Amino acid sequence: MMTRMRDLQRWAIAAALALSVGAGVAAGAELLQGDPALLASSAPPALLGPITEAGRTGWNCAPEHAATARSVTSAGLPRD
Amino acid sequence: MIARAVVASLLALAAATGSAWAQTYPGNATAPRTTDPGALAARARDREIHERFARGVAAEEKGDWAAAVPEFARVIVLDPPEPKGSTARYDLAIADAHLGRDDAAVTLLDEALHRDPGFAAAAATLVAVQLRRGNVSGARTAADRFVAIAPSAAMAHYSRGLAALQGGDLTTARGDFRALLDADPSYAVAHYDLALVELRDGHDDVAQFELQRALALAPGYARARFALGTVLLRGGRRADARVAFDRCAHDAEDPALRALAIDLRDKL
Repeated sequence: MMTRMRDLQRWAIAAALALSVGAGVAAGAELLQGDPALLASSAPPALLGPITEAGRTGWNCAPEHAATARSVTSAGLPRD
Repeated sequence: MIARAVVASLLALAAATGSAWAQTYPGNATAPRTTDPGALAARARDREIHERFARGVAAEEKGDWAAAVPEFARVIVLDPPEPKGSTARYDLAIADAHLGRDDAAVTLLDEALHRDPGFAAAAATLVAVQLRRGNVSGARTAADRFVAIAPSAAMAHYSRGLAALQGGDLTTARGDFRALLDADPSYAVAHYDLALVELRDGHDDVAQFELQRALALAPGYARARFALGTVLLRGGRRADARVAFDRCAHDAEDPALRALAIDLRDKL
């Protein structure tokens, strides 16, 4: 009896969560139709890697090279 | 006989001057020795800084951010001269950022840039952390500094474009994304972000053009496909918008974006 009650409770919670997610999505969709500002921009650049004690002017400092690179590929910018 | 004598004298001359042309090596250096307590302490301190840097960088290269933190924190306490002081702060900042301690990372990166105002990697990281924590004005200030340090850098324009877009400075955002595209017209993400700028500025036709260029370069770019659906919907082209949302639902890896695309598709 107790086990069945627990199962019912779990199903009720799952159903409530599913409904709330659905409601959120629907609200989001209606908002998006009217306001393009809600469209998310692309991701920020990824964090760069560590630098040795030689510092940023040291030989082959990859993070400093990425930060100053002129090309998108060398800079390692996001692809989506 | 005379010829033999001439050859012999030339060989002798060559042998005499040969040593002057040969590379020379210094002799063994004598091992430095001192009994001065101050000099010994300085030498021990330098050695500790060297070892802690090596251990901290090795930990970060393995992604063990927690292990790197005490190494760089100790280097900062030992207060080495530049470039080690700013580098230790940068390294500790990226460890803190990976551990979710964004406030501490921002403070350290500000300190690193105060010590070394031309430190582009620190400036780039500061913008990334400020964008991530949603501090739009902080991100914009950091991005302006980054562009001043590296005016032709792709990452500087990308970062400031995002900060400006989020802050509503559409003119600066447009300029930065256009600069990126001037350098690399095949960068689909810049076309997408430029489309968002144009959408927010009410130029739906330009936005649609940029989104179509992004999708021509990257057909599986789900976020751009979704934005195109939104533009088409705003223009009353429901059937085309439905196709775009359907394709987005198919391509999207992000479950939230997929759910939103399915919802919109099913409503049309």
